[in-house]
Amino acid sequence: MRKFYLIGFALLLLFDTIGQTSFKLTAKHAEPLAASLDWLIRVFTSPLVYVAISAYICTFFTWMILLKKAPVGPAFAASHLEIVTVMFVSIWVFNEHITLIRFIGAALIIIGIIFLAIAEKNIHQQQTKIESK
Amino acid sequence: MSSLVIILWILNVLFDTIGQIAFKYAAINPRNRDGWHYWSDLFRNYWLWIGIVSYIAEFLLWLAFLTLVPLSQGILIGSFNIITIMIMGRLLFKELLTKYRIIGMLFITAGVICVGVS
Repeated sequence: MRKFYLIGFALLLLFDTIGQTSFKLTAKHAEPLAASLDWLIRVFTSPLVYVAISAYICTFFTWMILLKKAPVGPAFAASHLEIVTVMFVSIWVFNEHITLIRFIGAALIIIGIIFLAIAEKNIHQQQTKIESK
Repeated sequence: MSSLVIILWILNVLFDTIGQIAFKYAAINPRNRDGWHYWSDLFRNYWLWIGIVSYIAEFLLWLAFLTLVPLSQGILIGSFNIITIMIMGRLLFKELLTKYRIIGMLFITAGVICVGVS
């Protein structure tokens, strides 16, 4: 069972990260940005936009399968912690520089997500208590 | 950040929130929950189509947004949709705002502000 969650969450993060990376690559491919048909044509002739769409569909189905069984708190956190993996990819693939203030911001957001995950877990426990009475 | 970036960010959060709310309405609406009937009810529900159109709009807005900002910054300030969806969940679906949820929302807001001004 532990293995099921580990593989499930790892796949969720992987698909999400591939999706966001492909989005950024598609955006670069379609430059310059313009509210025009030409821009849309550049977007949809980029092969990476289809990688992004496929990754999103895979994320959706992985999420649906996980959500049926996984505990709600960790599941909530896992569905948002792709920001961590995407930041690593940003540094690695796009040579982005993480400034100190941006790093502090990222840490605050992650702390916030952890609090929300605890809240989800507590609410879920209260609901199951009420239902079992 | 330029004003175009801010407008694109607001539109992104807006369409994501509309999409999520529409999907929630679509999910709770069908009365008949048996197999085929559930799906045929679902696809005739206009909320589902509002959700799909919002997501297509958001897809293009996200691409436009990522053209202008680094991915590491975009993904962080994009997570602000967690807050707007929670507030709408409270207003429309009477979902609870517990102590931990409020603390979590404050941390995320502070983080988004840090990343936004950097």
